[in-house]
Order: sequence, then structure tokens, then C-alpha cells
Amino acid sequence: MRMKLAVVAAASVGAMLAAAPALAHHAFAAEFDINKPIQLRGTLLKWEMINPHSWFHLDVKDADGKIVSWMIEGGSPNQLIRMGVTKNTVQVGTEIVVEGYQAKDGSNKAVGRNFVLADGTRLFLGGSAPGGGGDKK
Amino acid sequence: MTERCLVVLGILGALTVVLVLAAIPLAAQAPAAKTSGAAAKKSYVQPRTPDGQPDLQGFWTNSTYTSLERPKNVTKEYYTLEEAVQVEKEAAAREAEQTLPGTVADVHYDLTQFGLDRSQSTHAKNLRTSLIVDPPDGRLPAVTAEGQKRAAETAVARKRMGGPLDAAENLNLGERCIMMANTGPMLPMGYMSGYQIVQGPGYVMILSERMHDFRVIPLDARPHPPSTVRQWKGDSRGRWDGNTLIVDTTNFNSKRPGVGDNFAAGQAFRGASEDMHLTEWFTRVDADTIQYRFTIDDPRTWVKPWTAEVPILKDEIQGPLFEHACHEGNYSVGNMLKGAREAEKKAAAAASKTGSK
Repeated sequence: MRMKLAVVAAASVGAMLAAAPALAHHAFAAEFDINKPIQLRGTLLKWEMINPHSWFHLDVKDADGKIVSWMIEGGSPNQLIRMGVTKNTVQVGTEIVVEGYQAKDGSNKAVGRNFVLADGTRLFLGGSAPGGGGDKK
Repeated sequence: MTERCLVVLGILGALTVVLVLAAIPLAAQAPAAKTSGAAAKKSYVQPRTPDGQPDLQGFWTNSTYTSLERPKNVTKEYYTLEEAVQVEKEAAAREAEQTLPGTVADVHYDLTQFGLDRSQSTHAKNLRTSLIVDPPDGRLPAVTAEGQKRAAETAVARKRMGGPLDAAENLNLGERCIMMANTGPMLPMGYMSGYQIVQGPGYVMILSERMHDFRVIPLDARPHPPSTVRQWKGDSRGRWDGNTLIVDTTNFNSKRPGVGDNFAAGQAFRGASEDMHLTEWFTRVDADTIQYRFTIDDPRTWVKPWTAEVPILKDEIQGPLFEHACHEGNYSVGNMLKGAREAEKKAAAAASKTGSK
């Protein structure tokens, strides 16, 4: 299984002016850095279904082949369970690709915008909202 | 069962949510719809609990795109069906905008993946242009001189506390998992506006999904506690008037959040004083709908009382409610504060570099 940690190009600063909708429970832009977009490929070590945001623990192999632990913030367990997703939906050891943004303090934490299985299947719902990002993959 | 099967099941479950949403009729609140609504009420026989109360039990949601106050560019009480559909479509698109790559809004998990936007949940399609039905302009009444003075004093107190990321205590009450604005009056949240109502002899219990807050409402006409007793959710007393549950709530504290209030040192709801008097009416008008109306009377804050009406829809898909045990302090609060300190260091370094030139 090929694993990699790729840090992709920073987004434009001008885009930072966009206002965050009021839907966020807390200020994600205060927690994570828009200038640190990341793509991680790793295996699921643990899934903390704690409200208001679930946390996915991944083991990711870096460029030197060393295993590095990452924590990825995701949506509310309440809503996942309502959609039929449970802790058993994604077994520990599953390979997952996550796109997101790294924590501002540079630690191995990130918000996961997209969660995709190794075969490209989107992990959760994706794409049912009008104009949503679900069809971008 | 394989992982793929389970994922497919999850997607099917989500699609079911969407299909149920599509089947929900408009909340019958437009003048033209009132006639058919009245006819439905006549034929509807309110079920009873074993102890004889009108039965409101079950899982419900008050999710809606209708805002509390009427938008400033709208002057009428009801949209046409076409307008309502368009307004909702635009609002859903604005929420989905959160997924635009490369924007600050994008620094968030994808709401469309996690089913966290309203378009993916049961919600009332309401023709009203505001939840506020009185004053007739759909907006909050004018604030009294005392209310304005208190708001100014609160603003000074907030400024003294520093910015919202200067200390954990400065984060708003929702971020600190203390409470949301859904426990009385029951206003819809941006997402997860679920409720559970349970009735027992002499009591009605209303559980709000987010923050897992609940109110146990006695029906025995016992008096409210003395005014020295102040509580986050106030003190509620209920009684039945025919098929309508009337809940009377007083004894609020002065720390409650205002909607959109991003600071901790908030006042009572929407800037109300702790002496605000909340009255709520719950009437089950058909098997799937509770007509919910509330009035807030607070002469210390507004020149007159104001009233809003929020449709509450039956939503068995919403239940049972997974316990919303909120633990933001585990990771996110620390991350936010650390992020803010990091930003300050960078700003200081940049300022120092500029100064040395």
C-alpha cells in the first residue's frame, strides 16, 4: 500500500476575504490554516465519535517511510448516525485519503474536508445538497 | 457485512432523508392554505397519553430556512410558493458555498458529506417571510432606553474581556458547549434541530438535541421559585388549555446567548433582561405537525411584547437522538487558542521585520 504525505500549494490570499457562513459550530478558520492545505493517505487507527465534532486518528507514512500520527476533525456523530453511519461503517485499519487544512500551530491535526476510501469512493454522504461539493470528486 | 455494503447502506439512509424531505408539504401558514389547514384540524383526532394528556410525544424538528426577523428588503408577510422555493434554493446554495475550495469558508469539513446542512434534513417549507408574526412588520420591536443602556454596558464589559480568542472563557456559550438558543424559546439551529418530547403523569419533558439540554415542565400549577433563583433555561410551568400546552417560563439568568452573539458575556435572549417572561403554546394540529408559538414580554428591553411562530414537524428519522454530549474542550478549544497565539507571533514578527527596515 502506497502512502504519502503531500503538502500542496497554498491558496490565494484574496480568497481569505470570503465570509464564513454561520453554520460552523466554532471558528474553524481560527483553528486551521487556509495556507496549509494537505492531502493525507493513511490507515484509520481510531475514530472518536464525540460531539460536536468527530475526530479520526490516522497513521500516515511520511516521505521517509516513517509512520506519523494525525488527527482529523470531521462532522457531528449525531448526524453521521442519523445517516446510517456508525463506528462499524469504517473499520480500524481501513485506508483513507483525506483532503483538508492543517492546524495553525503546525501540529499534526487537520480539518478533513473530504474523506475518500482508497478506491475513490466517498466515505460519507456527499453530493446530495444542491450545489454542494459532493460531485467534485 | 463488508465496509462497502455498510457505506452503501449509509448512503441509502441519507437518500431516504432527502426523499422524506421532498414529501413534506409546505407548512400550512399562507392565507390560502389556512382553509385547508382548518379542515384538516376538524378531522384530526388528537391522540391521548395513558393518563389523558393530549399526546405530543415523539421525535420532532423545527428546522427551517425562515429567519426570525423578516429580511429588510421584504415587505410582505408571505412569499408565493415560487418565491419561497427560490429563497430556500438560494439559502441552500449559500450553505453549500462552504465547500468552495480555497476560501476561508472552506476551512471546515464538507457539510454536504456529513449531512449537516438543512437541505439534507427534514425541515419546514414555510411561506412566511419571518418567524416573527407580531409586530406585523416581522421584526423585533424598538428597544427601550433601559435596554439600550444595558446593551452599551454589556459591550463595554465584553471589550474589557478582550477578543473572543484571548481566553477560553471568551468563546461563545455554544462553542463552550454550555447551551444554544433552542431551549426556550425553541428556535431552529443551523443544523440538528432535533427534539424529543416525553410525557408522564404531571410532567412534560422537552429534550433539545444540541447540547442535550432538557426542560422538565411540571403541570401541577406549582408557583415559580423566588426571583433570587436564576437559571440558564429559566423555570417552566405548564398547563393544558384544551389540546394546547401552555408553558410559562420565568427566572432566567442574565448570561444567555443572543443569536449570532459571539461573546460569552451575553445577556438574556436577544438582549432581553433576566426578567423576560416567555409564554409558549404547543398545539398538535395533525399527526405530523405541532403549531408552536411563543411570546416574549420584557418591558425592560422592548417597548412591546413580540411573538413568533415556528412549525415543528414529526421526524422519526431524527430519532432516537444520539446523546449530544458536547466536548469541544477536548481538542478544538485548545487548537483555536493555540492558533490565535501562533497568528499573534507571526503578526509580531512581521511588524518587527517591517520596523527594522
